Amino acid sequence: MSRRPSRARAVAPFALLCAAALAVGGCGLGAGSTPNEPVALSVTRDFGAASLVQTPGARVSGADTVMRVLRRNAKVTTRFGGEFVQSIDGLSGGRSDGRPTDWFVYLNGILTDKGAGAIDVHGGDRIWWDHHDWGVTPDIRAVVGAYPEPFVHGFDGKRLPVRVECVDPVANVCTVVADKLIALGVPIGRSNISRSAADESLRILVGPWKMLRGRDAESDAIDSGPKASGVFARFDGAGDALTVLDARGQAARILTAGTGLIAATRSKDRQPVWFVTGTDDAGVGAAARALDEGALKDRFALAISNDLPVALPARSG
Amino acid sequence: MFYARRATPLHAARAPVAAAYACALVTAVLTFENPIALAAVGTAIVAAALLAGAGRQLARAALLGVPFALLIAVVNPLATDEGLTVWLRLGELGPFGQVDITREGLTFGAILGLRALLVVLASSALLGATVDPDELLRGFRRISVRSALTAALAVRLVPVLGRDARRLADARRCRPDATDKPRAAERLQIVRAVATGALDRALDVAATLEVRGYASPAAAGGPRRLREPWSRHDLAFAASAAALVALCIGARMLAIADFDAYPLTVVAAGAREWLLALAIVVVAVLPFADRRGVLR
Repeated sequence: MSRRPSRARAVAPFALLCAAALAVGGCGLGAGSTPNEPVALSVTRDFGAASLVQTPGARVSGADTVMRVLRRNAKVTTRFGGEFVQSIDGLSGGRSDGRPTDWFVYLNGILTDKGAGAIDVHGGDRIWWDHHDWGVTPDIRAVVGAYPEPFVHGFDGKRLPVRVECVDPVANVCTVVADKLIALGVPIGRSNISRSAADESLRILVGPWKMLRGRDAESDAIDSGPKASGVFARFDGAGDALTVLDARGQAARILTAGTGLIAATRSKDRQPVWFVTGTDDAGVGAAARALDEGALKDRFALAISNDLPVALPARSG
Repeated sequence: MFYARRATPLHAARAPVAAAYACALVTAVLTFENPIALAAVGTAIVAAALLAGAGRQLARAALLGVPFALLIAVVNPLATDEGLTVWLRLGELGPFGQVDITREGLTFGAILGLRALLVVLASSALLGATVDPDELLRGFRRISVRSALTAALAVRLVPVLGRDARRLADARRCRPDATDKPRAAERLQIVRAVATGALDRALDVAATLEVRGYASPAAAGGPRRLREPWSRHDLAFAASAAALVALCIGARMLAIADFDAYPLTVVAAGAREWLLALAIVVVAVLPFADRRGVLR
């Protein structure tokens, strides 16, 4: 005689399936597990010119979001139910000197597409909040100031393949850049400059600008100016001089031979592309030498002139 | 219309004073987020309603207010993401985005729900049940005839529609195939019949009010009556209302009963807060102690 399965027995597989789906979807009781590596938090203003909060080991509890880490470590007011930051330590978005200003957040040097309350923090992440003028562009999608991120920990908990692409892959400058990343434990590929549009790797393009320009959408964006690329610098037609721009997009200085540039930009739905470039080989060499955490910290991009760093956007006057 | 004259000190007070007393309690609810102060205001509202013989209205208002309060308490933690102590991670939830239920969100949701409930209780059980609307509107007529007429119309229309609904329900029960209790579809039919007839009934009520002289020029100037002296109950409840408002203002100015919901819930719960709570209850309930002249 066959017995009918009890109601509880019939429901159990469905309940287990639901529980598994919830667990896979990031649901669960409690705060979740705290990242096992420290999370760094920087809060700056004016494109990193002034530091407000520097916490290499920010307080994190459980599976915190970017917003929650900020709230734990600074005094914050928010808008829209806590999704967007209005002020940090009393400095709020709005207008300053007739220019629009607001808070922007970069996770491992990448502008986040989602609200800060919707992005989970992972071990080793570098969170950078900057309050700046967005009159030229609100869309600076990638910055260099979180170096060695995103190369070491990637984005959103996923490490990304890294490729160093050089005009001359056997040149000394290419080796310098590659060795710096290898020393950080980043597995890299090394190649000539490629044009792959479907590439999901983080690319570092190394070489004089005249050899890099026109190769892909990212170099075109830099030539188009800060509105398109978020990089406040422009090479001249021959690539022999670099005009550094201030926060309003006006020319601040013109740097000539021996000038280097380290900048990052990102096309929509693609990974960031970094440029270690310059007006000439000497400039590229200077840029490669400046590829360093200390030199790049809290910089949106960096020009190097006579071996001296010039933070971008440049100060006017 | 819930109002019924009862032999209580609050009913003995003139309508504007009773209304001011109820409004002072509502003001106290809206002033405080601190749970100690809110509990005191809640206690004061319940005690005042019971002492004013409005226990049944209080229970009826609670039936309406509790689900409303629960809804607020449930929605708040889903809609806000400002707390830091995560109790439950729900992942991506459609329009809400990534939802984490936090202790702070739940706490503040409960506070908001409690405030909504207390406003409903104070409005229904005190303002609705103990303030004579006719007397109140008479006083208001001196300020604005049209507004007073509109308010009078609205106040009178509610019981008229209620009676209409009861008559229609009685008529339904007279049908040979009728059950004792109407089914949902039949209830809907009654509601629809009452709602569609509301405009006609409003015209009827307006015509009746006009016949009674609401639109006459004398009405605009207000009735020329001898001013009644203030009774002890008028004075007691007016003083109580003023003291309640003063307590609210004083507490805000002296930062007593502070409450921070986010990012971490911080509740001030020192001696000053308990003293304030005691003062709120005593000030609100004290006028009921004097029952002289009530049983008129």
